[in-house]
Amino acid sequence: MGDIRNVAAATRPQIRIEGVKKSFDGRVVVDVDELILGGHPIEGLIGPNGAGKTTLMRMIMHSTRLDEGKIAYRRGDGDDEVVLSNLPTHRMADIGIVKSNQVIQDFDNLTIWDSLLLAVAEASNERSYQIYREKRVFEAHAEDIRWYLERFPFEDPNGFAKSAGEKKMLDIIRCLLLRPEVLLLDEPTAGLPEDLRDDLMEVVKEKSTTENMLVVIVEHDLEVIWTMSDYVHFMAEGSVILRGEPDWIREHETVVEKYLGSGHVAG
Amino acid sequence: MNLDWLDAFLLFGVFEVVMVIGLALLLHLQIGLVRIANFGVVGFWGLGAYAFGASFTKIDWSLGEPWPFLISVVVGTIVAGLGGLLVGWLIADLDTDGVLVGTLGFATAVVILVTTQDGLTGGALGMSGLRFPFDIGKTKANELLWFGILVLVVGAIFYYVARVHRSPYGRLLIAVGDNEPLARSLGKPAFRAKLWLFAIASAGMGLLGIMSATMFHLLIPEAIGINVTLAAIVALVLGGTARVWGAVVGAILTVGLFEILVQFYLPFPRSWYTQAIPVLREMVFGAALIIVLLVRPLGILGDMRRDKLVRRMHRG
Repeated sequence: MGDIRNVAAATRPQIRIEGVKKSFDGRVVVDVDELILGGHPIEGLIGPNGAGKTTLMRMIMHSTRLDEGKIAYRRGDGDDEVVLSNLPTHRMADIGIVKSNQVIQDFDNLTIWDSLLLAVAEASNERSYQIYREKRVFEAHAEDIRWYLERFPFEDPNGFAKSAGEKKMLDIIRCLLLRPEVLLLDEPTAGLPEDLRDDLMEVVKEKSTTENMLVVIVEHDLEVIWTMSDYVHFMAEGSVILRGEPDWIREHETVVEKYLGSGHVAG
Repeated sequence: MNLDWLDAFLLFGVFEVVMVIGLALLLHLQIGLVRIANFGVVGFWGLGAYAFGASFTKIDWSLGEPWPFLISVVVGTIVAGLGGLLVGWLIADLDTDGVLVGTLGFATAVVILVTTQDGLTGGALGMSGLRFPFDIGKTKANELLWFGILVLVVGAIFYYVARVHRSPYGRLLIAVGDNEPLARSLGKPAFRAKLWLFAIASAGMGLLGIMSATMFHLLIPEAIGINVTLAAIVALVLGGTARVWGAVVGAILTVGLFEILVQFYLPFPRSWYTQAIPVLREMVFGAALIIVLLVRPLGILGDMRRDKLVRRMHRG
């Protein structure tokens, strides 16, 4: 039995966070002894404001430096571990880790099509002397992109993303187009109408099984967490203090007291 | 060939217009796409010209014509590119103010270097002996041919820049200019992209410097003053930093109008031309820059209009 479980664990991408600390101006924001992401296909990370969730995500992406500790990553194909905190930010996507943004991020001068083609274009087609590669990139990826554009309604896919919702959606589609092994979603549904939110999450769920992708969701919209996650980590004051199945976390005394408030349990 | 119809001064005026179009096009890659505000254009322009001149005149070449000239052109272009690589490496991650001071400082450093290193550059007296790599008869004919070659070079730069807008590379440059952290999170090596672009554009500026020095047969420190940078920047900003045609339209409306209209067709007293006109030119350019930034900050041609371009690109 033990062997089978090991094999199963080895085929799933895994992020191991060990003794990681970060403080800003002397205030400890993140202090995680040990956290392993990747035991389940979709994992939720919740906690009150200021618990350090976003900072921890940024530390995984190495866009925030670690004061102490180590974050290591093992790909789904069971290769050797890579220490993420040694890599420059732009290498993360290469090795299969991407993150959507909590605060809306966009390219002001790129259209929706542009933005998606940018995400999928290979480095070999983006060199300064490759000035005839547009057609090749377009033909190789147009079908993939069209699939998303048909599934998600943009007012004018040939134009620019207009509303905050469109920009948010674009951000996540860009990530999905990269076919990552690990997808970190930092408040993916903030600002999205309910039907779009459900649609988007359905696609994420679909991809997590068809593409063997590990998804980690940070979210305040707990309905998303309860319906999507197979496993939930609860953070407070910089540390992960509880972990478990969504139903168990949902009713746990500490979570209720520190985060949900007693009204939630009754509801 | 009878070239009596051609006014030699007019030819030099048009030469400068085309040269500034070339500089503004290269600057468009830097400012318009990746948003590196290079205020040291003349530094790379002068570095290329002087490196070419030193190689051409100070080395005892045993090769026959035109090899010393051609090799020196390559040397000058590469030196300007290496200068770009070094400066780019220092400034690529700085904010706009840092980039401005850094590039401006570089241009000043080049002027000081060519003034003090007189063994290599001729110092304040200048460097002469720069001649065309061909001789087809009269001076005017040679100058006209050289002008034709410049047109080809600037035409090639225009073609390259226009192609960049239609390629995945251009999209990468715009993305890096718009939102560098986001581009990086999508796996794009933003720093490397900026650095290479800066170096390549600098090499191009160096080549234009070489062509200009050859046309005038002379290089003096005064020739590599801020007015070259100013001409390129004013042209680009006036025409529109975001559009390929911005550089062309801007250069014709600024340097073109001034060099040709004012210098040839307006009845200014002869004595003005050495003293007053150059100063007047800087004043007019400065005023044009201020007016454009106040009235139409994106320049005459305005926004990049990527939506139209992308639609056109994928239609066929």
